[in-house]
Amino acid sequence: MSFIHQNLSENEHIIMKYKLGIDVGGTFTDFFLIGDDGTALIHKTLSTPEDSSIGFITGIKEIAEKLHFNLPDFIKDIDTIVHGTTVATNALLTMNGAKTALITTKGFRDALEMRRGIREERYNNHYRNVKPLVPRHLRYTIDERIDAEGNALKAVDTKELDVIILKLKQEDVKAVAVCFMNSYLNAEHEKQATEYLRRALPTLFVCGSYEVLPSVRFYERVSTTCINAYIGVVIDKYLEALLEKLHGINFTGKLMIMQSNGGVVTPEVARKIAAVTVLSGPAAAPIAGAYYAELLGFDNCITMDMGGTSFDASLVVNHQCVTSTDGNIDRHRIALPTLDIVTIGAGGGSIGWIDSGDLLQMGPQSAGSLPGPISYDRGGFFPACTDADLILGYLDPNFFAGGKYILNKEKAARLTEEFLGQPLGLDAIQTAAGMYRVINMNMAQGVRQVSVERGYDPREFLMICAGGAGSIHAGEICRELEIPMFVVPDVASIFCAAGMLLGDLKHDYVRSYMTRFSKLTKDKFLALYAEMKLEADATLMEEGITKDKIEYLPSIDLRYMGQFHEVPLEVSMNDILQFNTDSIAETFHAEHNRKYGYELKHEGTELEIINVRLRAVGVTEKPVSLSGKKKQGAATLEEALKCHRPAYVPENDAMQEVPVYDGDILFDNFTIEGPALIEQINTTVFIGASYNCETGVGGAFIVYNKFLMPNGFEKKK
Amino acid sequence: MMSEIKIDSILVSIFERAFRSITDEMSISLTKTTRSPILCEAKDFVTGLYDAEGNMLEQTENLPILSFSLGPVCRVIIKQYGENIFPGDVIIHNDVFSMGNQNNDVAIFKPIFFEEKLVGWSAAKGHQADIGGAVQGGYNPNATEVWQEALRIPAVKIYEKGVLRQDVWNLIFANIRLTMVPEDIKAQIGACSLGERRLIALVKKYGFPCFEAHKNELFRSTEKMMRAEISSVPNGTYYGSSKVYYDGKHIGSEFEIKAKIIVEDEDVTFDFSETSPQTNGFVNGTYTSSCSAITLTFLQMVNPEIPHNEGMIKPLTYIVPEGSILNASYPKATTFGNHLCPQIADSIFKALGPAMPGRVTAGWNHLLCALFTGKHSRNEEKYVDICFMGLKGGSGALEGDDGYDHIGMIDASGGLLDQDYEMYEQQTPHLILKHEYLCDSGGVGRWRGGLGVETIIQMGGDNATMVVFGDGDVEPNYGLFGGKGSLLNSITLTYPDGKVHTPMSKDLIEGIPSNTIFKQIASGGGGFGEPEERDVASVVADVQNEVVTKEQARQEYGVVFKNESFEIDKIATEKFRDL
Repeated sequence: MSFIHQNLSENEHIIMKYKLGIDVGGTFTDFFLIGDDGTALIHKTLSTPEDSSIGFITGIKEIAEKLHFNLPDFIKDIDTIVHGTTVATNALLTMNGAKTALITTKGFRDALEMRRGIREERYNNHYRNVKPLVPRHLRYTIDERIDAEGNALKAVDTKELDVIILKLKQEDVKAVAVCFMNSYLNAEHEKQATEYLRRALPTLFVCGSYEVLPSVRFYERVSTTCINAYIGVVIDKYLEALLEKLHGINFTGKLMIMQSNGGVVTPEVARKIAAVTVLSGPAAAPIAGAYYAELLGFDNCITMDMGGTSFDASLVVNHQCVTSTDGNIDRHRIALPTLDIVTIGAGGGSIGWIDSGDLLQMGPQSAGSLPGPISYDRGGFFPACTDADLILGYLDPNFFAGGKYILNKEKAARLTEEFLGQPLGLDAIQTAAGMYRVINMNMAQGVRQVSVERGYDPREFLMICAGGAGSIHAGEICRELEIPMFVVPDVASIFCAAGMLLGDLKHDYVRSYMTRFSKLTKDKFLALYAEMKLEADATLMEEGITKDKIEYLPSIDLRYMGQFHEVPLEVSMNDILQFNTDSIAETFHAEHNRKYGYELKHEGTELEIINVRLRAVGVTEKPVSLSGKKKQGAATLEEALKCHRPAYVPENDAMQEVPVYDGDILFDNFTIEGPALIEQINTTVFIGASYNCETGVGGAFIVYNKFLMPNGFEKKK
Repeated sequence: MMSEIKIDSILVSIFERAFRSITDEMSISLTKTTRSPILCEAKDFVTGLYDAEGNMLEQTENLPILSFSLGPVCRVIIKQYGENIFPGDVIIHNDVFSMGNQNNDVAIFKPIFFEEKLVGWSAAKGHQADIGGAVQGGYNPNATEVWQEALRIPAVKIYEKGVLRQDVWNLIFANIRLTMVPEDIKAQIGACSLGERRLIALVKKYGFPCFEAHKNELFRSTEKMMRAEISSVPNGTYYGSSKVYYDGKHIGSEFEIKAKIIVEDEDVTFDFSETSPQTNGFVNGTYTSSCSAITLTFLQMVNPEIPHNEGMIKPLTYIVPEGSILNASYPKATTFGNHLCPQIADSIFKALGPAMPGRVTAGWNHLLCALFTGKHSRNEEKYVDICFMGLKGGSGALEGDDGYDHIGMIDASGGLLDQDYEMYEQQTPHLILKHEYLCDSGGVGRWRGGLGVETIIQMGGDNATMVVFGDGDVEPNYGLFGGKGSLLNSITLTYPDGKVHTPMSKDLIEGIPSNTIFKQIASGGGGFGEPEERDVASVVADVQNEVVTKEQARQEYGVVFKNESFEIDKIATEKFRDL
């Protein structure tokens, strides 16, 4: 628990308003508080997985105590809480959602479970299909049909629904998803059935695909609608209880929930379309990344977040967090726009092991937090990444989490050498160095995936590190990818909680309109946009946004005739309203060329439109800065020097004495030459021999490669 | 000199990842830059890296049937050109009589030089949308010779020392119908250049002697993994066989694939010498396609984490004699060759069942496929559609797990996906009436075979054509260790006048009127182990989910339900199961 800026006086708080970001993670709940005068506070408390709202409230109380405020006064001064929750994610991962039924068109009972017949691991015959969120016996069909032009071939017979309703009652189902063939063209049947069910079963959570994702592709739609129904009850209950608890402590400000698309949403809206919260937890990291990139004068960045068991990487391109509609969660398809985050099994707990070909491997198995790495001394005996970081001198056994835990370095070294070193013919340090190199390579591969697969060259990006352990590894990941610079913000350890305060209200709308681009009719095209805009305005105004604070970001899914996959294309609202199809086509050719290296403009290949989309952004009030007021730090670099200790310098493949600086007092502009370490309570930065570090810039450590940036980092702004 | 390099075992791990990352990135590049849906959608391609002698460093294949398809060609090229290889050369190849696997699969190879020394090869092979021959797309059931199927391209340079040989390029593409094919070949060249660039960077970083020594150490490591797997199989000679029905020319014709597998300590030999001679039609394999089928089947029986490099195949010996149905001699037609994979897999699983009971699967569903062409009723535009959703049956069960439902043929092992229903109805004039799991289609056993599917489509647009190719309509697949086989594959057409027509397994049907009902059964996989030993709860779940009927539960699994409920009749069940 640390203050960035301590000792707020009683006088100050009277005129202060606060915003609070709360990120509930598996082990810790992170808090980031910022006052409207720029004072900032980082706080962590243990998560309470049985009911995460307990940790949520406990943390608020602890912060009030820390600040010597009485709770009612403090609560009164909080005008906004933004909350990232893993409730939906966990319900999906542990299959603990509501008992859900699906009602679909006769003949299509199994699309949800078939997943188009994919087996992700081709050579593994023990690899099982994912358990469907709705088992087959709760998937009902009715004999209705809309054809591919939107004509009704067979009407809904409510008698069939009556029979199903009876069964739903017998089965004690809690949620129902309704998804009919071609409802994206004509939702009348689906609407009729959904409303009929709502009337008959008023206590159940019922949703139709037309309300969740009215776009073409049956499997995508049925899967997304079932996810929405499956977690709908869980989210509804959780938010209801949370609002009640906040009410109980007299909170009168706004509560906002983080969404998977990088925006925020009011609890009222989230309770209707729960599927937007599926990736609520990690979604704020790229937003904070975008903030730091912009602060330092960069358009693009990669955000990496290395936690205990996993490593997340995501992109910011042109100040925008990259979203995609190709997402999966635990192999369940979700086609709502979601931040594009690549996750691989690499973290502080990743275990080192030797395969049957005598090669060292790292992860994806993790020691978790219990028993944890060997050095935690809680019974773990498999060497983990944290043990290697300790053996290599990056971590101080007496200053882990600011000295909260004492790490057993001797045991870690002894067991690492015994389990991994001896078979490899290496001593403890050599083995740990090997573990460090292998896991860095794994993470570099994850970064390569998120950038190269999307058609971007990682060398053109700035790397931003979140998570406590990431900044020990970032230098080597960047060297592998030839990324010239990485940044460690002072909020790295609670990065998501900080990013949440930067989120705008964001809502995504889609309509399918499939035709040759040349045959697009202006009236229909504009009518679809008008319809989406109307819906967006109504939702945002319900959330308290005034018209002047709404921005519209339209996009169109287009492809060349004969292609299978469409390219999402951002277009200007002006081009839409003017029906400027030539300009839109030009933009498409250029984007296709950038992404795939060719365009077919000169061959005269026609374009085909699939979907029209609208993102509506309700601009929220945000803190001016995340780094808070400047406060008195070390006057000279020497003043911040804690000690020297041996640490592994990968460039020289050797342990070397390196200076260790106290990062919690490095606020002014200094240049630290690598190799060196900077220690903060929750974060350690390792600066390799290839790097220099600039401190005091925008509340972050800027670490740049001396060879790739020979002129050093030029301060912008 | 090489012995002076001290092996750093960590560096071997690093190289393993680096090679994998390079072939993966080549693969991403191909997905992004190719145009034919067979390449960018179905990903019917493979990318690979080889050392200077043609040993595989790594490869990335989306479809397992391509698991062995580049290496032999690399060696042919090395032998053919000898010293006559220069930086900037690009070589193209498809010839099935010099180690090509299938006529449509065209390979690009690029030599990689570092400091003027040949250090390796990058390669990309993809299934082209057309390859000349008598019929667009290359599928000609009437072919008896290779020229009726395709343009033969033995290894030839299309770039020499960085300069395009425009004359050669023109000659090749003058014989191929579609303009997208040269573009896709350019994309393959691009992927090879990417592989070249990244391998050079790697060699530069560590130096050639270090690269050479550690790459060899990686082969040794992988070979050790593979040998450890083989040594767990008892020594012996094992026999298995399967049948191929109908060569497309002679009704009632049958052929036999006979596997003799010799396991000797850490080596294994796959000997197919006793297999039937080649056919006079196009139902013939090539050496490389048959070896791919053997390799992918064996890979499914070992640790799936083994890296795909030369060390992996070193302990394997392939004997596939020329002139047999699995390795047709010049100039026979061979387009059906890849589709002999399910039968090859069957013969291997059956042979190794007694030796590796915990690793083999019961029979997978064989491919039976319908391809529609015609005119769209809405816009009079031509459409072509392979009915992927209809052909994907179940995989065979194995010890510990049920088969995988609706996975499709073993050649792809879940790598080829169903069309989306709504997109399908946009792109074709057809109306899908049903696409669901077929009840009782999983072969019964302690572990049930994966489920098959039933597909019913009301065809639209007059005068459609349907090509049928495949197998599995004569003999049901097999169960193992007391498990039973499943159903037969079938395709039927019910015309608007009520007449029913059942096509042959290799057939061409023209003039299909609109409103004809197409119905296809893709069978499930075979079961494994005695059905009476199946966990009762699993049987109950299957019955409740209506993928097993109460009748099958009673007759095959010995699980009896009380009337009109999912409650077990305990006494009757115990009585049945004790018998």
